Amino acid sequence: MGMGPGFWPVTIGLTLLGIVSGILIGILPLDYLLPSSSLNVTDRGADIDFLFRFMSIIGNAIFVYVTGFVIYFAIAFRRRKHEPIESIGVQIHDLPALEFWWSIIPTVILCVLAIMSIRVWYLVQYGTGAPAFAVEVIGHQYNFEFRYPGLDRGIYNEMHLPLGRPVRVLVTSVDVLHSFWVPEFRLKADTVPGLVQNLNFTPQVAGTYLIECTEFCGVNHSFMQAKLIVEPQAKFNAWLDAQKKTAAVAAAPAASVAPSGSLALAGDAAAGKTSFKQKCSSCHKAEASDPEQDGPDLEHVFTNKAHPTLVNGQSVSPAHVAALIESGYKGSGPEAMPSAQQTGASAKDIANLTAYLASLK
Amino acid sequence: MTVSSDALQHGVEDHIHPAPEGFIRKYVFSIDHKVIGFQYFITGMLFFAIAGSLAELIRLQLLKPEGAIMSNQAYNGVYTMHGTAMVWMVIIPLVTGALGNFIMPLQIGARDVAFPWLNMLSFWIFPVAGAILFASFLVGAPNAGWTEYAPISLQGPPGTTLWCVAIFLIGISSTLTGLNFMVTVIKMRCPGMTWTRMPLFTWATFATALINMVATVALSGALAALFMERVFGVPFYDPARGGSPVLWQHMFWFYSHPAVYIMIIPAFGVISEVLPVFARKPIFGYKMIAFSSMAIAILGFAVWAHHMFTSGMAPWLQLPFMIVTMLIGIPTGIKIFSWVATLWGGRLHFSTAMLFAMGFLITFTFGGITGVYLAAVPADLHEHGTYFVVGHFHYVVAGGSVMGLLAAIFFWFPKAAGRMLDERMGHWTFWLFFFGLNGTFFPMHWLGLFGMPRRYATYVEFAKIYPPAQLWNIVASASSLLMAAAMLLLFINILRSLVRGRPSGINPWGARTLEWTISSPPPYYNFKRIPIVLGLPYCFDEPLPYRNLDNEQDEIPKPHSASQAWMEATA
Repeated sequence: MGMGPGFWPVTIGLTLLGIVSGILIGILPLDYLLPSSSLNVTDRGADIDFLFRFMSIIGNAIFVYVTGFVIYFAIAFRRRKHEPIESIGVQIHDLPALEFWWSIIPTVILCVLAIMSIRVWYLVQYGTGAPAFAVEVIGHQYNFEFRYPGLDRGIYNEMHLPLGRPVRVLVTSVDVLHSFWVPEFRLKADTVPGLVQNLNFTPQVAGTYLIECTEFCGVNHSFMQAKLIVEPQAKFNAWLDAQKKTAAVAAAPAASVAPSGSLALAGDAAAGKTSFKQKCSSCHKAEASDPEQDGPDLEHVFTNKAHPTLVNGQSVSPAHVAALIESGYKGSGPEAMPSAQQTGASAKDIANLTAYLASLK
Repeated sequence: MTVSSDALQHGVEDHIHPAPEGFIRKYVFSIDHKVIGFQYFITGMLFFAIAGSLAELIRLQLLKPEGAIMSNQAYNGVYTMHGTAMVWMVIIPLVTGALGNFIMPLQIGARDVAFPWLNMLSFWIFPVAGAILFASFLVGAPNAGWTEYAPISLQGPPGTTLWCVAIFLIGISSTLTGLNFMVTVIKMRCPGMTWTRMPLFTWATFATALINMVATVALSGALAALFMERVFGVPFYDPARGGSPVLWQHMFWFYSHPAVYIMIIPAFGVISEVLPVFARKPIFGYKMIAFSSMAIAILGFAVWAHHMFTSGMAPWLQLPFMIVTMLIGIPTGIKIFSWVATLWGGRLHFSTAMLFAMGFLITFTFGGITGVYLAAVPADLHEHGTYFVVGHFHYVVAGGSVMGLLAAIFFWFPKAAGRMLDERMGHWTFWLFFFGLNGTFFPMHWLGLFGMPRRYATYVEFAKIYPPAQLWNIVASASSLLMAAAMLLLFINILRSLVRGRPSGINPWGARTLEWTISSPPPYYNFKRIPIVLGLPYCFDEPLPYRNLDNEQDEIPKPHSASQAWMEATA
């Protein structure tokens, strides 16, 4: 018997669909699939995008065939109303030639993919040559610390890299696992305490990028991000020199700046209590009935004689408390409170929280 | 092949034990594999409802970048419990404990599993482990994800210790079940059922049992060490005291990658049974499918570190793991192509079970393809730990294991209950589940590629670099409600059919494996006389390949009249 009604036209149609969509995947920019502004932001990112494109072309073809044939067979070989209920299909058990080819072709494709992957893997692990310099990335709960050659202290949550220079990033941690990921660079390495991993690449486009932690590291894992600035060598050098001159740790946030509008709003202590439970209670205790937490105890924060100042050294006033909630607190070490931007607290929330804390007298 | 005349004359066992009297022995501490299968099913579906509700809480939270309903702490507990419960308390017990227990002994013509008392023990560990796991909500739920990576798991809330105990217990249950099923399949097949005549679901259960028996002990070791470190301070994983955090990952994934195959291979078996019955033609490439199950089970032991390409192992070690992982794509591809070829030239009946099986072909293929993206080390450096991974494994687990499970429920419910499920509701269940699944998990792929990490209670910074983030999360959350509706409909369907379903008769689908030759529900002893097998159960143009059947129905089985109405209605 033949292959059934419309088999060859459908097969040719699916093949054409696979080829045409494959060509489109091959030539169109990947903006719809991968972060846009960023194709070729690094040399390794470009290699990884190429691999991604190759896999998408093949994967797309396989998916088109499987889905296409399932739908076509469902239509072509459905049991018609007039056919008796016990009618049976073609009693074929196998077709060795077909099975041979559908085992061999995927094997060949996977071999090609493996070879391409090994090439890119080598470049990521060992680089294309000696790197211009190395930056250390150290994960803390919940901050990224960056250490540069010639600078005897860490920079928190802001990484600078010179444009167009091969760099080696050495990644480690002091407490638990974190992961250093720059989505637009396509590169990631877990920060593991007691172990140093490396990534080798060359940034190719100036700009500001997001660094995210992608290995669960504790309650505030989702607040752990940092900024990565790729800038021309001269600007980078100027930044590094300025850092070297700043002897003291300028860690305290600029809290003297009045918070943006939150004080103008009248706070509602009851609403503040709800926000506190959602956003603050995993680190802070506010009422006697709350469980003990790692962060400072905020019971009677406005009247506590033992701690007349806030953690950033400022006097306890509603304005300063609101400012601290808004800016967050980095400190000089790993301890940190996320900013309002990170917690998503609005000006209204901050006013409510301040009112709530003030009500705990 | 000829059957020895000895077996023909005597059967294997001529005596039948009397059915137990009394409620306790009959339904609570039963040693009957069918009752134990139901017990697994009921308990597993109950946990399914809880774990599914937790999934809806996750989706609610992600409606807003800053988190819509709960604190970070609460969210971390919720997704950890969702993952843990779905893997160990829902899918593994349902596809091995419920399906394996009920179907496999019937398919090989046995009266029970090899060790019925051990089987009872395996089951009773399960609800105890489940209770311990969910009790951790009372003392502070574990919050480091279902993988509980060290050393953060050492700092976890007290519930993390309960998590250890619960998973350790369920691991013992799995190991015992694996052992039990291995022995049952090897020793208790009825006369004439050679390895190459075994139904494919039984092949799948056999492959799964092998993994369960061998891999689970590695997890038990890892959990024992984690327990010792948390409770007695013995330093295994804490780097500050000389432990190795990566050690946990190796031990954990040495079990948990094969566990993915524990979850999916039984679904492969279900699909291999459902497709030929409703296509009315033999499974295409029987031997290749059976062989592929075993190949996947064995290769599955050598791929665990593909979960760890960013974790910090010796870089050269990444390559063999990548290559073996890609190798697994080959038998998996063979299976998918064979199933699609099974549809060719059939007379397809679109029962609900068939729809789930065909839906499986589409969603599982998609999940398989994205698996290759993750196998390639450099691409994985981008994708690891993001929503791309979440999308991928939900296509495999929900689009593979759960689709297979649902196909199995609609296929074997009539055998188990003696009553038909409502097919109209079944069709609704399928379409709601299918669209819900794609709507929920498809957007996750590009959310991940654009930069959304998994296990984030909030994604404020990510939403800044990718403004449509919230929109796609809303799409995913809305679609997840469709899946919830599908499951709700299934629960209603099951409860309603238990009371009011039409009687199913012996063989409503015209299926040809042994379980469809005995009454529905099967009697306590399964087979009054042990049947004798003469051939494969997939030849629809031949008489049934059995002798010595209880009801002497040695002819081409016809669909029972009760099901004829819906078959015609849905044709």
